[in-house]
Amino acid sequence: MDPEQVDEFVMGYLKKKGFNSAAKHLQESLHNNNGSSFSSIDYPNDPELTKLIRSFSQSENDPSRYREGYSKLRSWGYNSLDLYKHELLRVMYPVFIHCYMDLVGKGHTQEARSFFNSFRKDHEMVHLRDLQKLGGVLAPSHLQEMEFARSLRQSKINIKICQYSYDLLIQYLHRTESTLMLGIINEHINFQVYSGQPNSASDDIEAVTIVGSFHETADHVNQKEIHWGLLEDSLEDRLEKTGGLLSDSEKGQGESKAGDDSKKRSAEIGKQGSSTKKLKKDKAGTATTKVARQETSTVLSSMPRVKPELAMPVMSTDVEESILEDLRNRVQLSSVAMPSVSFYTFVNTHNGLNSSSISHDGSLVAGGFSDSSIKVWDMAKIGQAGSCALQDDNNQIVGKNGRRNYTLLVGHSGPVYSATFSPPGDYVLSSSADTTIRLWSTKLNANLVCYKGHNHTVWDAQFSPFGHYFASCSHDRTARIWSMDRMQPLRMMAGHLSDVDCVQWHPNCNYIATGSSDKTVRLWDVQTGECVRIFIGHRSMVLSLAMSPDGRYMASGDEDGTIMMWDLSTARCITPLMGHNSCVWTLSYSGEGSLLASGSADCTVKLWDVSSSTKLTKAEEKNGNSNRLRSIRTFPTKSTPVHALRFSRRNLLFAAGAVSKHSS
Amino acid sequence: MQLAVEGEEKMSIVPKETIEVIAQSIGITNLSPEAALMLAPDVEYRVREIMQEAIKCMRHSKRTTLTASDVDGALNLRNLEPIYGFGSGGPIRFRKAIGHRDLFYTDDREVDFKDVIEAPLPKAPLDTEIVCHWLAIEGVQPAIPENAPLEVIRAPAENQIYQQKDGPLIDIRLPVKHVLSKELQLYFQKIAELTLSKSNPSLFKEALVSLASDSGLHPLVPYFTNFIADEVSRGLNDFLLLFNLMHVVRSLLQNPHIHIEPYLHQLMPSVVTCLVSRKLGNRFADNHWDLRDFTANLVALICKRFGNTYITLQSRLTKTLVNALLDPKKALTQHYGAIQGLAALGHNVVRLLVLSNLEPYLSLLEPELDAEKQKNQMKSYEAWRVYGAILRAAGLCIHDRLKIFPTLPSPSPSFPSKGKGKVISTEPNKRKLGVDSSENRSPHKRLIATDGSDGGPSPMQVDRPTGDANPPQNSVRPSSSEQASDGNAPESRNAKEKDDSKGRAITRKAILDQIWKDDLDSGRLLVKLHQLYGDRILPFIPSTEMSLFL
Repeated sequence: MDPEQVDEFVMGYLKKKGFNSAAKHLQESLHNNNGSSFSSIDYPNDPELTKLIRSFSQSENDPSRYREGYSKLRSWGYNSLDLYKHELLRVMYPVFIHCYMDLVGKGHTQEARSFFNSFRKDHEMVHLRDLQKLGGVLAPSHLQEMEFARSLRQSKINIKICQYSYDLLIQYLHRTESTLMLGIINEHINFQVYSGQPNSASDDIEAVTIVGSFHETADHVNQKEIHWGLLEDSLEDRLEKTGGLLSDSEKGQGESKAGDDSKKRSAEIGKQGSSTKKLKKDKAGTATTKVARQETSTVLSSMPRVKPELAMPVMSTDVEESILEDLRNRVQLSSVAMPSVSFYTFVNTHNGLNSSSISHDGSLVAGGFSDSSIKVWDMAKIGQAGSCALQDDNNQIVGKNGRRNYTLLVGHSGPVYSATFSPPGDYVLSSSADTTIRLWSTKLNANLVCYKGHNHTVWDAQFSPFGHYFASCSHDRTARIWSMDRMQPLRMMAGHLSDVDCVQWHPNCNYIATGSSDKTVRLWDVQTGECVRIFIGHRSMVLSLAMSPDGRYMASGDEDGTIMMWDLSTARCITPLMGHNSCVWTLSYSGEGSLLASGSADCTVKLWDVSSSTKLTKAEEKNGNSNRLRSIRTFPTKSTPVHALRFSRRNLLFAAGAVSKHSS
Repeated sequence: MQLAVEGEEKMSIVPKETIEVIAQSIGITNLSPEAALMLAPDVEYRVREIMQEAIKCMRHSKRTTLTASDVDGALNLRNLEPIYGFGSGGPIRFRKAIGHRDLFYTDDREVDFKDVIEAPLPKAPLDTEIVCHWLAIEGVQPAIPENAPLEVIRAPAENQIYQQKDGPLIDIRLPVKHVLSKELQLYFQKIAELTLSKSNPSLFKEALVSLASDSGLHPLVPYFTNFIADEVSRGLNDFLLLFNLMHVVRSLLQNPHIHIEPYLHQLMPSVVTCLVSRKLGNRFADNHWDLRDFTANLVALICKRFGNTYITLQSRLTKTLVNALLDPKKALTQHYGAIQGLAALGHNVVRLLVLSNLEPYLSLLEPELDAEKQKNQMKSYEAWRVYGAILRAAGLCIHDRLKIFPTLPSPSPSFPSKGKGKVISTEPNKRKLGVDSSENRSPHKRLIATDGSDGGPSPMQVDRPTGDANPPQNSVRPSSSEQASDGNAPESRNAKEKDDSKGRAITRKAILDQIWKDDLDSGRLLVKLHQLYGDRILPFIPSTEMSLFL
């Protein structure tokens, strides 16, 4: 270290301690010794030195400098050229929050508060929730304690900025010698300067969402390749093979286009099936070609197929038969052919219903209650009894012969936050605030296993599409993969910066997606437990997830009522689906993936035409044109928030919700 | 105290005093102010933290209202003892403190222990149930009590569609809606009211002016045509109403901002009804002749304006009128209307359709005219009325024929007076209702004679007595009819003059031949008319021509 710098440190120390006269003497002697050491150093080009000088100047310890510096920078930013203004203003937010946190960190609580209040209006529109969180930070210890603040302090924020804006900013900071601001910017912002014209204000959401340290890693993570194709030899494939034959034999030559199509498809699949044996040997090599093929073959109906990475459970032949039967009888849905919606309304829940779910065939409905109980209704039985029970209401409410007509499952010791069915409907999986997950048999009406592993409330648990495996997510910020036969989790997915609120399996079982209170959705590789995608764009807590049946797209709904469609391979948002004005509790794709149903706290079920949305955006991506006209139908309920939705395999839509009386 | 207030504003939501109060309540009396000041921000942070977790619990309980149990859940998440005694299940109801803007409290009444004990046991809460219904069947919501009422559905659904108007995939067609602004609705209501009320003629006149001149009334045209058609069919006995309606029609026709063509087919039947209906208003009390005259002009106006675009309009109209005229079974009033209508359509129409049928028609009319044969005075009056109309039509026609002579400059100043003369010639008939018809004829002739000689001023005098029973429309009528007849003649004359000048330039001889031919025709016609009408036709013939032919 330079002797000069040592001198500076000494001087800073003297000043800090109040030995002003000593400092003066030292300075004089320094000046006498070798000119002015400050001006000779070209500090702005050397971040290290800048930092040093900053730490030196900080020793003055004057909180008003933050306000002064920031308000100057702010007014300069607002008065800058229109073309570059939005880029420059983007810099304001990180500077603002770091100024605030610096002030808090130094114990100037009052100044911090007044600084925060005088400028928070600027950022409320975009960062309201973050500001609400930060507003509570009032002591240095809070900065340490609060995850959000800590991650902000530790990370650098990436800001894309064009060359000219960057030059403008640097010029300004030099000219005004606002070393404090320069220091903050150097310390916390990582500029990605690009040449050319500035981006339009709206097009990069990423610049708006500043969430912790993973921003820089997100880009890196999203480079990893994933195979979103369906599993080879899936039931759908088998159906297409048999269905193709069927349609061939059934239909004449006249209108055999569909038959031809499926024949072609099955032929291709057959080819693929035979080639996969070879592929097995050099997985890594073929993976890339597969990805490449994905891009080209999207127009074709044949989707790429992948091998399961987990050992798949064997499906009993009768279950398989019934599924195939269902698939054969599936109603084709589109924007013109709407589904029928059957609504299960919970009455007399006394505000206790936390979650509900519907089995794949719609015959079973489960509710998880805040009194730790789970209730399972067999709708098929109620339907049989319904004809006579409907006639006298009293009877129905008490149930047949005074007995309740549901199965009560008791075992948890805390509010039950999820209760879901295994695909064949023979098990119920429940998760609770007592940190456990329990497996129940619907045939025996009894608890089979209690899975302990999470450290906090388990918000959600979901069976894999083929059963046996399940995923859970918790307040402890992890998601875990389990299998039914083991007490311990198989994998732990850690990375989210806040609660993991929902989890969903990819149709090929190789990935799970998790939505979190940190406003991101992540995709994890089940086999390796790695995070393979980070989806950034939501402005609030993610509440619901759904995967398209072809495995290519994912929809996520948040607290504000926004639904986002993501392309898994690019990790980009295809389009936000706006329409709901309250929490989107549930999402469900129709069997062939042409429709997306969403249920919300605003007491509506909306249907979205997603086939057109994905096609359109592919065409319109180049035009930069986003159209939001995809809500094709809205079904309002009678003051019943929609908690759960499920398309049956035959494409009948089931919905469930509890009547809330005070909604008016 | 001053400092505390400052602190409250600058520092945090939780003031120092609150900390002190809490400290006292848990038995710490000697809490130093510095400690309170330090604690306050931390308390706020903790409260915010708990709330953040409570909101998560609320979301996972699928609710949008925070309850006490959510806060308990949050405390549980933080490994804290929950606060007992608030778990009510439902959201807490807050009341606003009077006099404070954002101060709320829960209404927590003191309950007497005795009351609670003595109260009967509450009913067991109803058990949770599931009710199943169809929210939608193939995309359509059935109208069953379980679904939200249809009105509620309709509104958002429509908004939806409007929002996605340009979506290519949405193939929903709404019924075409005609949106009328509040103002237009009011305007229409007011006009309809005025038309029906008949009590405020001055205001109605104003309304007509407005109808004839205001722009932006076009959206109302279908409503007006409907209104007119309805009212005409309903109010055939209400003379004033009919007259008012016809005035509305005229005003609509006059309005340059209204494109009325598409609605003509709806309008014409009503108008023609007012022209040739057997009965318009009270036969005795009401001056339905005026209405017919007025309507005749209206018909002519329509034909003139839209004859070019609707080629069949005039032919259909004349067919209707001629049929009405030549049907002996039809009432005389209808004949009158037909004649007036045809006369208003121009001289060519009269010459072709009326004059050709003049002889048989007059012979038909003859017995009616005769006072001895026709005892019914009303009938005879009507007959005379028809006679006058037909005479006027023929007279005007011949007048026009004669005036085409280029060599003989027509005395244009005398022309309008002639027009009036004809009106007058018909008027006295009515006045002499009670007088013997033979006597009737002589004053009639006399009147014409005097009129013909002294021209303009007299009509006003003669006109006045006719206006006995009728409201001010009468004063409008003669002038309008005059204008109409006036307007027709000069136009044709101008055309002829133009022709003449051109013809003169080519060959004088040819034109002279033509003139002689026309002359002969006219002469023949005149002679014929003279035979039929006697001297009564004379006033229609310009003096110069008269000297030539008689």
